[in-house]
Amino acid sequence: MSNYYHMPKLPSADSLRVTINVDGKDVVVPGDTNLIEALRSVGIETPHFCYHPHLPLSGNCRQCLIETEGPRGMGLAIACYTPVRAGMKVATPASSPKVAKARKTVMEFQLVNHPLDCPICDKAGECLLQENYMQAGQGESHVREDIGKQYHGAPEHRFEDTKGQDRGGKDIDIGPRIILDEERCILCDRCVRFMRHVAGDEQLYIAARGDHAFITTFPGKKLDHAYDLNTTDICPVGALTSKSFRFKHRVWNLQHTPSIDPTDALGANIWIDHDGGTVYRLMPRCNSDVNRSWIANSTRAAFEALSTNRLLDGRLQGKTVTRSEALRHMMEKLQSAKKVALVSSGHLTLEDNAAMLSLAGVLGPRAEVFGGSWLPVAKPDGIALSGDPVPNRRGVSLLGIADNLDQLVSRAAEFDVVLLAETDLWFADSKQAKALEAIPNRLVLSAWDTASVKAATCAVGINAWAEVRGCMVNIAGRLQMMQAAPVSPVDALEPAWQTLSHLAGSDWNEVIEAWKFATGICSPLASIKYSAIGSSGLQLPPSGAHT
Amino acid sequence: MADTSPKVCTVNFGKGAQDISVYKSLGGYSNVGKRLFDLSQFELIDLVTRSGLRGRGGAGFPTGMKWSFVPRGGKPVYLVVNADEGEPGTFKDHFLMLEDPHRLIEGMLICGWALGVRTAYIYVRGEFLSAVESLNKAISQAYAAGLLGANIGGSGYSLDIYVHRGAGAYICGEETALINSLEGCKGQPRLKPPFPAVSGAWSSPTCVNNVETIMALPWILENGPEAYAAIGVGRSNGTKVFSVSGDVKRPGVYECALGLPIMEMLESEQFCQGVIGDLKGVIPGGSSTPVLTTAEASDAKLDYESLAAKGTMLGSGAIIAFNSSRNVVTMLQSLTRFYAHESCGQCTPCREGTGFANRVMKTVVAGKGRDTDLQLLLDLCEGFTPTTICPLAAADAGPIESFTKKFRADFEAAIARNPERAEERLHPNFRPGAFW
Repeated sequence: MSNYYHMPKLPSADSLRVTINVDGKDVVVPGDTNLIEALRSVGIETPHFCYHPHLPLSGNCRQCLIETEGPRGMGLAIACYTPVRAGMKVATPASSPKVAKARKTVMEFQLVNHPLDCPICDKAGECLLQENYMQAGQGESHVREDIGKQYHGAPEHRFEDTKGQDRGGKDIDIGPRIILDEERCILCDRCVRFMRHVAGDEQLYIAARGDHAFITTFPGKKLDHAYDLNTTDICPVGALTSKSFRFKHRVWNLQHTPSIDPTDALGANIWIDHDGGTVYRLMPRCNSDVNRSWIANSTRAAFEALSTNRLLDGRLQGKTVTRSEALRHMMEKLQSAKKVALVSSGHLTLEDNAAMLSLAGVLGPRAEVFGGSWLPVAKPDGIALSGDPVPNRRGVSLLGIADNLDQLVSRAAEFDVVLLAETDLWFADSKQAKALEAIPNRLVLSAWDTASVKAATCAVGINAWAEVRGCMVNIAGRLQMMQAAPVSPVDALEPAWQTLSHLAGSDWNEVIEAWKFATGICSPLASIKYSAIGSSGLQLPPSGAHT
Repeated sequence: MADTSPKVCTVNFGKGAQDISVYKSLGGYSNVGKRLFDLSQFELIDLVTRSGLRGRGGAGFPTGMKWSFVPRGGKPVYLVVNADEGEPGTFKDHFLMLEDPHRLIEGMLICGWALGVRTAYIYVRGEFLSAVESLNKAISQAYAAGLLGANIGGSGYSLDIYVHRGAGAYICGEETALINSLEGCKGQPRLKPPFPAVSGAWSSPTCVNNVETIMALPWILENGPEAYAAIGVGRSNGTKVFSVSGDVKRPGVYECALGLPIMEMLESEQFCQGVIGDLKGVIPGGSSTPVLTTAEASDAKLDYESLAAKGTMLGSGAIIAFNSSRNVVTMLQSLTRFYAHESCGQCTPCREGTGFANRVMKTVVAGKGRDTDLQLLLDLCEGFTPTTICPLAAADAGPIESFTKKFRADFEAAIARNPERAEERLHPNFRPGAFW
């Protein structure tokens, strides 16, 4: 709310370690953080609603109560706002019935006015209220029907239900992407703090006070921001839900595959949430060094493309053919070519581009590798987008491929074959790409039926980003890994590296072979194993540091 | 009968002291000059400490000690006078500002000099329009007389005073909520520490004092701390202004030395001139302080320590007396409604708990109470008192716990009106929790 708000201090690898006494046992924890994080570091989870490591502290939910030594002896305090002090004594419910009771009471207060919605609530299964109830609640409720509830909601949204109970607001269209359920809101204020401190555009606030308070937008305004869907992730209950995911799938049926943002060079860490071969949504994956807990709406929307306009087979002179026919045609053209232009892609992984370099090696002096992109680059927004739409631009240049598409245009007459892999030049700049139509054989590897596929003499479908395993290097030089989700629309599709290795006649079967080739030709990547990259990526040394 | 009790804050009442010339003729502002500015800041704080003056807003924290927490030499220090008098039953500050605004300004000059304040605010409850007018008039007179603004009396000391109107929230009487409101934010209490003395308004050291506390300063400077400390009893030094209301013959604002028996305040000719009907109970210090029965009130004294010994508080000095014709059950519901309405809604236990307690009280008043409801109310109080950010929920617990304990028969009678009072509220195997 006011300028006294401050961000929680998070522990880091070089945090000073101090000893504190938790439940009578001495434990060593990071000394520069709050008790929630410190207790988490020794495996003690503290239930909470309003605390979020990447939002300013608010301390309003009161769920994370612990006992600690104060000026008047042991007393209740909230763990999120209590800094770690060396030698301090902390009591959790494990040793303090007082803490257990206080948490149970607070949980009861949370639920006093919360509706019985769980069976129809989209948040069920990933709801903090449900999770914390199982940990800290499960008490006998004091509520009875003739006392009734004060459901949260704006006066204009209130209604009387069939039992005569005064109800709050339900199913409120709060913006183009989000539905608000005022009744379910527990007023933790996370969304308000997100909009104010992260998005930097204060579109939400808590109106009124007491148990009449409710979340709303300013009069006549909508919740409409390029990052507003993050509020649906951090909402601990089902108050803010995304229109695109609402009622599509139960969350406990979803599988989660870690990946990275395919639309931007920051490489925001994401989860691919999928089930039965269908991707239902993309969620942010917390990485304090990259995107914290946030991703842009545009990143989230990337999953829709995975099932739209895909190129699942081959194309030869505009006619649909099988993949093997198209591949056979490509192989013939490459073998008989006098001069081949291979166009690498920053939309593909390091492994894919390494496979292209391997193909160039097989073709020998007949082949020349080009790189770059004609997509416009915007300014970074300081949250989770760098503005560069080419996710692996840095990785491609790390492999030694120059940014020289312009040369390809000016020297198009020298080549009789051009091979494009997942780089849609005809879409990015159709005028310049027109010059490439002078090359008689235009071979395209693409996951989508793009403008370049239409301009190609021969094209073949490949796996899209979500379906492949591989690495990219983000704009800050961080090597990050995306895992393959089993969501390929057709089993026959292959990743780009595998298709390229067929064309090179090397028939790699495992992505690790492409990776070994990449580490072999690129000194910054030398001797890096997949296992060293880890889920949060590996910062490569600055480019000047290697020899 | 003439009022013989010592007067510190109300000495100019009824004398037309709203006008600066009258105030000056009554001895006002005479010390704003060499007498004040020759004192060093430390001497002045020491003087206030020696007087034993304690905060008159409710908590009774020693004023000199509060001032000594304010750091010096860093960020600017702000003085905020808390005139957001919202406690039900309290109306002393309103009259103090209406009758003697210049004494407040003089007190602010003294406090301002002690703490090195250049900018001071008076945060006035929004409804007190006439008090705001009175203050603004007095402030402009003081500016014209060279008592405010730059280089006051050639001392080199400058002080500006602004009057800020609140928007009508009880919680803005809590000092950190008041500061939030002053900054233009929603009036909700902040997490502590840091306390305002270290980081308050605009993250700068801020001294928040009640109107009455500040208005005692001119008298202390004039007559010396020893004279002030000589008034009162024990650690409760000086005088206190009481707002007396309820079933008394002459309700009003009265100043007396601390330690006065509560019955003397109610019965004495110079104060309330007697109780109407037979006294049933007394709320001694504002609605949040636990109620006293007639028996307890008979030997209670109006000072911090003896009321604490009775399990209640002096609070803001709002005495509400009520006789046996009053229904204590509806009285309590009126208070729970107030606290539910005034809960700022920030933290969970208070937001949901005060509202829940009020809904329970509503069913009791409506004749639908259950036998278990009194225990339920106590459980709720036990739940929300220690777990909240600020003391508003505890202020709700004060009356709930004391009323239901001390007038239990009345509550049981109210519940007895419900023929289904003993029924099981829920099936014993039903564990509702999340699922109700």
